[in-house]
Amino acid sequence: MSRWGTAKAVEGVSFSVYPGETLGLVGESGCGKSVTCLSILRLVPQPAGKIVGGRILWEGEDLLSKSEVEMRRIRGRCISMILQDPMTSLNPVFSIGDQVAEGIAIHQRLKGKTLWQKTAEVLGQVRIPSPQGRLHDYPHQFSGGMRQRVVGAISIACEPRLLIADEPTTSLDVTIQLQYLTLLKEIQKRSGLAMIFVTHDFGIVAKICDRVAVMYAGKIVEIARVQDLFDRPAHPYTQALLNSIPNLEDQVDRLYSIEGQPPALHGLPLGCAFAPRCSYATSRCNQEYPAEVFLGADHMARCWGVC
Amino acid sequence: MTDALLEAHSLKKHFPVTRGLIRARTVNSIKAVDEVSFIVHEGKTLSLVGESGCGKTTTAKMILLLERPTTGSIHFRGKDLQHLSPAEMKEYRASVQAVFQDPWSSLNPRMRVGSIIAEPLVVNRALTRPAIRERVRELLLQVGLRPEQAELYPHEFSGGQRQRIAIARALSLKPALIVLDEPVSALDVSVRAQIMNLLKDLQQQYGLSYVLIAHNLATVRYMSHRVGVMYLGKIVETAEATELFYHPRHPYTRALISAALRSRPDAQQEEIVLPGEVPSPLNPPSGCSFHPRCSDALPRCSQATPVSREHERGHWVACHFAEKPTASIGSASYAEERP
Repeated sequence: MSRWGTAKAVEGVSFSVYPGETLGLVGESGCGKSVTCLSILRLVPQPAGKIVGGRILWEGEDLLSKSEVEMRRIRGRCISMILQDPMTSLNPVFSIGDQVAEGIAIHQRLKGKTLWQKTAEVLGQVRIPSPQGRLHDYPHQFSGGMRQRVVGAISIACEPRLLIADEPTTSLDVTIQLQYLTLLKEIQKRSGLAMIFVTHDFGIVAKICDRVAVMYAGKIVEIARVQDLFDRPAHPYTQALLNSIPNLEDQVDRLYSIEGQPPALHGLPLGCAFAPRCSYATSRCNQEYPAEVFLGADHMARCWGVC
Repeated sequence: MTDALLEAHSLKKHFPVTRGLIRARTVNSIKAVDEVSFIVHEGKTLSLVGESGCGKTTTAKMILLLERPTTGSIHFRGKDLQHLSPAEMKEYRASVQAVFQDPWSSLNPRMRVGSIIAEPLVVNRALTRPAIRERVRELLLQVGLRPEQAELYPHEFSGGQRQRIAIARALSLKPALIVLDEPVSALDVSVRAQIMNLLKDLQQQYGLSYVLIAHNLATVRYMSHRVGVMYLGKIVETAEATELFYHPRHPYTRALISAALRSRPDAQQEEIVLPGEVPSPLNPPSGCSFHPRCSDALPRCSQATPVSREHERGHWVACHFAEKPTASIGSASYAEERP
């Protein structure tokens, strides 16, 4: 709620994630990617935001019906999260060891020496050199890439089965980004972790995701296997987005550009939110919200043009 | 090759590191930019790429006269900036403009867009009010905004539109050179192409030169004619854009290109995962500053600093081993080294 009325940050979003799989959640800022992730962990700031409907099924149980105490047992142990900016997600006045150990102490009830041993082991898993010696260091003594790896260590410390990564590499340099993505992939291979990877970068999607959901103005407009999405993008927004990104492989003289701006979330149009910017839009697009169209077992698009 | 508009020769910028409050003494210096030379040609784009802390922004600041080089010189249209008369200096400042990364902080929230765009005109040109209003109108149309939007405040615009306002302001004095410091990285993916295309159109229309500072290689490839790759304050490789991306010779350039994510899942990609991180510029490694992370490094690399040499026409590389034929994008002949 805001003084403009209710902003529907996320509406009618449905997807599933399977063990060992990486689902990419792509979209521009304000399209609802982060709110979707926070909803899964029931961390949407209240009373500003509210989950007004839907279900979040975790191994068959609805997370929305859990009590706060039960949720605490799930956060960090079953589902954990990596946030975008390691500068703000690490506490500057606690040592790295303390911060990594916190979750382990709570969820696995370890104490004393075994706790520190386990903490060092986890830091070792994310390739922090000589982890034993760095337990008592503080975040400011680490570089950006190392800090983000510490955040990674915190989130995998209790061996969760689902990891939600909200643009974890945006603040990193390209060579460090590649290191980090490679590391996440390795951890996933070893532990069969499922991942939801939020990003606005199709390069990252191409690199690590198995399936992708493209979001626009709070809704999923297309969901498909990665290769399908790149080969046969069905939704005009996905097509336009893929065409508007410069690439390294070939020299183009002029990029396709999507005119206009993403819409504001309060007072969204009645029909398809992309219609005002879409070159194929018909009068129907402006009036009716498009239904789900399945183009294959794993490929769904919400567009009147593809039926 | 077109004429040189701006030439930088052996630019150095060292920031002193001091200890003590009252009798501060210099204990060390950070070599933010170390012996950097480049040429910006008339009507062309030179890009400087590299990771954070490599000195690309400091270089841009020296061009904009926001930092004074420790040593080295910048020549603009053949004249040394250090020996300009005050009037010439004023003219230089008018002909070199900047567009910054973040259009949320580079526009004054209390000024109307019209006044923001008019400010350089008011300061630098003796124009009548109607003439200024006419020029602002013209500029808004050029960058794809509506003239009546001059009455609005920056907060009423989206990121892409704000960047258009920043571009209009930079264009107001009809500059010859615009320094673009990460002009699209703060924008949404779907509006980046709009801004990049706008910048390209303006370049064609007015014969503008750009110095583009960016870390996204695909953006650089799309926008630039020449590219300089920077690492720890030095330009390690410069070449024409196509040449650089097809035949990178410096191991750092190759690693950078390989680390840039491909646009498709099935794209062939050599993978060079660089071990470690960029060393501190306070205490740069001896010899070639890239040697601790380089998979080809030999003892010689840690002893002698490689000199930048021209290997092919216009392709300069600072590496002891740049002579050997190298891999280009897509081939996997370059050995992978893991930490």
